[in-house]
Amino acid sequence: MNPQGEVTSLLTAWGKGDQNALNELMPLVYNELHRMARRAWSGQAQGHTLQPTALINEAFLKLAGAENASFENRCHFLAVACTAMRQILVNHAKSRHTGKRGSGQVMLSLEDVQPAVNQEAAEVVALHEALERLQAVDPRKSKVVEMRYFGGLSIEETAEALGVSIITVNRDWRLARTWLIREMSSGRS
Amino acid sequence: MNPQTDWEEIERLFHEVVDLPTQEREALLASASESVRAEVGSLLETNDKAFFSAPPAHLAADLIENQPSALTAGQRVGKYEIEALITTGGMGEVYLAHDPSGNSVALKILRPHLVASPQAVDRFQTEARAASALSHPNIVTVCETGDSPAGMFIAMEWVEGSTFRELIDAGAVDTSRAIDWCEQATRALAAAHHAEILHRDIKPENIILRRDGVLKILDFGLARLAGPVRLEPDTSGASGTISGTLSGTLLYMSPEILRGEVASSASDVFSLGTLLYELWTGKHPFAGETPLDVYEAIECREVAAPSTLRDGMPQEIDVLIMRMLDRDPAARPSAREASAVFSRFSTKP
Repeated sequence: MNPQGEVTSLLTAWGKGDQNALNELMPLVYNELHRMARRAWSGQAQGHTLQPTALINEAFLKLAGAENASFENRCHFLAVACTAMRQILVNHAKSRHTGKRGSGQVMLSLEDVQPAVNQEAAEVVALHEALERLQAVDPRKSKVVEMRYFGGLSIEETAEALGVSIITVNRDWRLARTWLIREMSSGRS
Repeated sequence: MNPQTDWEEIERLFHEVVDLPTQEREALLASASESVRAEVGSLLETNDKAFFSAPPAHLAADLIENQPSALTAGQRVGKYEIEALITTGGMGEVYLAHDPSGNSVALKILRPHLVASPQAVDRFQTEARAASALSHPNIVTVCETGDSPAGMFIAMEWVEGSTFRELIDAGAVDTSRAIDWCEQATRALAAAHHAEILHRDIKPENIILRRDGVLKILDFGLARLAGPVRLEPDTSGASGTISGTLSGTLLYMSPEILRGEVASSASDVFSLGTLLYELWTGKHPFAGETPLDVYEAIECREVAAPSTLRDGMPQEIDVLIMRMLDRDPAARPSAREASAVFSRFSTKP
């Protein structure tokens, strides 16, 4: 079977409730997205920026192929890809948070900029951890935030991918964000 | 006590009372158990801090830094005095300000937390350098660039008028005006390309028609000098990549940029072609319900010739716009060639 056929049949199998299919699918999607994200990050030095949503869409076309872009396949793929994207971004933030950055290229002194770099990265990690706590309370809300924040999906796309109404996503998003903001602010103070 | 039942009640009560005034909230919450009331109360308190208008990507930075997000009227940046905040973008804020002689300027300030990202600083400096290097009536003029306690800034000529987005949304544009605008836009792009500067972010929000009819291209925020510009490879996933929405930008990206290839002047031509198509027909050539649809449309959907959507379309312009949208960068006309076609149709003296 060609790779696109394999990804498509895994998506279909997972859609029918086969959890093993997800286990096989995740590394494929993670690796492809990770490769693309690295290319996009290094590509930014040349001036083009790819957003998470664009990466995810590109990965879908690459892995499943345009001819397999059925509605169900897309929805299942989005769910997997947003989780993979979250892992990529969190791992990236973690490495950035702890990694040393030495460079003479920056015009401003590193003492000025270093704390802010660390803070942003730390914030992504903090959100990820708060999201894990939310998942224990309410898995769907945590998925909504994952898709919106880490996958860059709109309210409409999130509703479509999760098979719920736009009103539900709006409500979930509103409460989940409030809950997360509170978690993250109280953790800091 | 059942945590799951509590959570459902918390959720229900939160949505029920969140948009009500305090007194009514209290009345509705009175019957709930103390623990539920405390949890809902705590969530409401967070909600009331009005973080909701902020896009998710900025949540992080705004929460942490707790910095004053905007300058107020009367404050000074360099020799300029702030009048009003005009807009806040991913990169920074744009203010209306005036210089000591009272001339209005648009003052773009790099948001202090972005100073953390070498990429953002670089991009900001490149914008300043690229725009300073260009002197053309259809490209916004940079008056000064500098650094101040409020952040790095670029002072630009103040352009008052309507963006192309507003002009397109306002309805059909008559032929002579469309030709005039197309000519000015292609001429500006040709001048930039002649100076070996790419824009890389051509979209209707970045083109303004001044009240006197002069068109100006703004925001060389992604511009790169074609010469050797030394750049740090960017690794800032946090500030650069999680910003989430594709909004307008994807709609004006060329297929080669979507594939991650390096931009060329032909990529700018494609973006401008998309915009001109929209100007003539009122329809976006790659419109789609979702980003994936748009992505697919740019990659492979057949584009209907503008003349099928608009009567009386000059054939040469019809063909030109279709050539600007060719998926093969090498098959597209240069901006200079495009401007020459529009010039022939122009009735302006």
